[in-house]
Amino acid sequence: MTEKFDVIIVGLGSAGGILAEQLTKAGARVLGLDKGSDYSEEDFAIKQDELRYYQRGAIVSGVTVDPVTWRADENSTARVLPWSAGALGSDEPLYGMPSIGIGGGTLHWGCAAYRFREAEFRMKSAISERFGVDKLPEGSTVEDWPIGYADLEPYYEKVEWEQGYSGRAGNVKGEFAPGTNPFDPPRNRDYPMPPVPQGPGDIPWVAATERLGMHPFRQPLALNSTEYKGRAACVNCGFCHGYPCHVGAKSSTHVTSVPAAKLTGNLDLRTHSRVLRVNRTPDGKRVVGVTYVDGADVVHDVEAPTVILTAYALENVRLMLVSGIRGNGQVGANFMTHNFGWFASILPEATNPFLGTFNASSAVDDFTSELVPDNDLGVLWGSPVISVTGDLQPIEAYHLMNPGVKKFGLEFKHWMRDNYTHMHRMYSQTTNFPYKRHYVDLDPNITDRWGVPAIRITHEWEDHDANSVELFGDIKRRIAQEMGAKETWMDSPRPPYHLSAHDVGVHRMGYDPAASVTDPFGAVHEVDGLYAVGGGSFVSYGGYNPNQTIQALAYLAADRLLDRFGARAG
Amino acid sequence: MVKSTFVPTEALLFFNRADAATIDAFAAQIIPSEEGSPGAREAGVVYYIDRALAGFMRDLQPLYRRGLEAISDLAVSVFGKEFSMLYDFEQRSLVAGLDARSQSQPEDFAGQFYRVVREHTVQGFFGDPAYGGNRDVVGWKLVGFPGAQWGYSREQMQPGVDARSIPILTIGDLYSRIGANRT
Repeated sequence: MTEKFDVIIVGLGSAGGILAEQLTKAGARVLGLDKGSDYSEEDFAIKQDELRYYQRGAIVSGVTVDPVTWRADENSTARVLPWSAGALGSDEPLYGMPSIGIGGGTLHWGCAAYRFREAEFRMKSAISERFGVDKLPEGSTVEDWPIGYADLEPYYEKVEWEQGYSGRAGNVKGEFAPGTNPFDPPRNRDYPMPPVPQGPGDIPWVAATERLGMHPFRQPLALNSTEYKGRAACVNCGFCHGYPCHVGAKSSTHVTSVPAAKLTGNLDLRTHSRVLRVNRTPDGKRVVGVTYVDGADVVHDVEAPTVILTAYALENVRLMLVSGIRGNGQVGANFMTHNFGWFASILPEATNPFLGTFNASSAVDDFTSELVPDNDLGVLWGSPVISVTGDLQPIEAYHLMNPGVKKFGLEFKHWMRDNYTHMHRMYSQTTNFPYKRHYVDLDPNITDRWGVPAIRITHEWEDHDANSVELFGDIKRRIAQEMGAKETWMDSPRPPYHLSAHDVGVHRMGYDPAASVTDPFGAVHEVDGLYAVGGGSFVSYGGYNPNQTIQALAYLAADRLLDRFGARAG
Repeated sequence: MVKSTFVPTEALLFFNRADAATIDAFAAQIIPSEEGSPGAREAGVVYYIDRALAGFMRDLQPLYRRGLEAISDLAVSVFGKEFSMLYDFEQRSLVAGLDARSQSQPEDFAGQFYRVVREHTVQGFFGDPAYGGNRDVVGWKLVGFPGAQWGYSREQMQPGVDARSIPILTIGDLYSRIGANRT
């Protein structure tokens, strides 16, 4: 007999964990299916191992199990991520899909917790007003969002207080405290916790940006700086970005929402359970349930009137496409991903870059979003410039080292000896416009071991991406010079990676079923009862990290679903 | 100017003795030893690579077999001897040539193999000693990395702290010192 539930959630990560908590608390009987493990506290008790987690990617999906392919354009044959740790085991496993397991990407994320500014939701209009609509890059499909900042503000606040974020807000009901971000969007409430301890490398960065007339502020982080809701404060171990947390200080749905959902008794959580397809009524108009394969390779059909895909933007698309849900060709369209513009410096004073988390540091919003300075490079939208001070272990330092220095012999050895403890990094995720020519679909040649086609990315860095890296590279260079940097270097404006766990846009939200896949609540236009929630719904993509907006959208979707159940969380 | 004198003192799990001598000499060119400053050889990088190839990197066994042949062919064709039997400056010139080729000819196999061995040398030099390399934490001592710390205090996060003053810990230390206290 087929098992029946009120709701099936596919993937209990950043968004899925939140939905599981909200729905089970309201009394819904939820089946949670996740292809990964439900790690115990003991699994992560000692995780200070760069080889295991950062270089070998112990908790991310390997391309041998979950293949993803990439090609630059339609005339090329896609290959399994050529920049990843695949064939030679010698590249970057973290330029791939997010970590797998209960908690999903929030297991290994760097905790960067940004709200999107007001203008981010009306990027097309703002650019058109300032530069003219004809200045948008050729072929861009950017649009304004169907919702605005004010719609999400209460949900952003809910994320900060429910999931445990730390920082010091700028604009609280129009009041600006000194040393906070003067460009902050307005909010009703400050963060529940103050910022975590600052890495020493951030101190000269703050001084330099202030001397240059900029307005540095401590970055908000999804990380406990104090004990919060029964979870410990961060101990500054310096194995955070790319690693699970050993003290439960990192905000992960693995330790926040999913345990809360379990406590209700309404969550049937099945791990190592990989959904193969979404099932619909014969006319295709209504969702019926899903088919999944368990860890013993037994295939099951399960049913629910509501199915929520929260399996990551690309996996949501893959599941829709293999189930024949194409959304008028919109499913998989408008792929966007960040270009990080890595910039490194060697500073005169020690930075001890192994201390604390990646982003135990500051940023400036002086050039962000619509505040982008006038420029000759055609850059239409700006980014925050972010100082990075922690989480740098020696092997990663070698990957990041100055390309002008030989990587063998005494020159290499002495460079590492003399410079490792003085390294400082900056990045600025550049705006990535959507284009018709950037999309994901099913690879015609590669399947996983269950016979499901791999997701195929068609994407190349455009002039606007490269020019953004150059423009912000100049700003970073000015800051580095002001810090008295002895050496500086920058990553290629057209880096080799095209996937980074910051991948969004592929099931765009909107009201027109001909031009979007879901509504703002994640309801898929084409199939009643089917939801797709997460970064896939983004309509445009500026320089802010995606996760807080993903979580805000999850709470928004939960509210809609709770209305439908006629029940409210107590 | 001393020729390589590698003799295995521990079990090898994948390489034969000649392979191990080649990889040991090759790794020593990537991170050389100096008086008072150990390199890849003292770190036991060859044991790291050997054990990794017998386990986690098993899929790379054919690549290493082919790569070892390529290095042998190169050494014999240029200097008339196996790589491990060459003088230090001869080995150095071959590695420098491979480094240049790996950048100018990305499709060249020997150059790509050099990059793979370089990556694994760095892993063996800077990875936790539990993996068989970084013996006596020489890699971490060289650069001032305190290793596998449970956490750092606010005082240690202040500017001006000498990283080399923090006692280095390994994962094994955490298990024996901290792990035991947790339960």
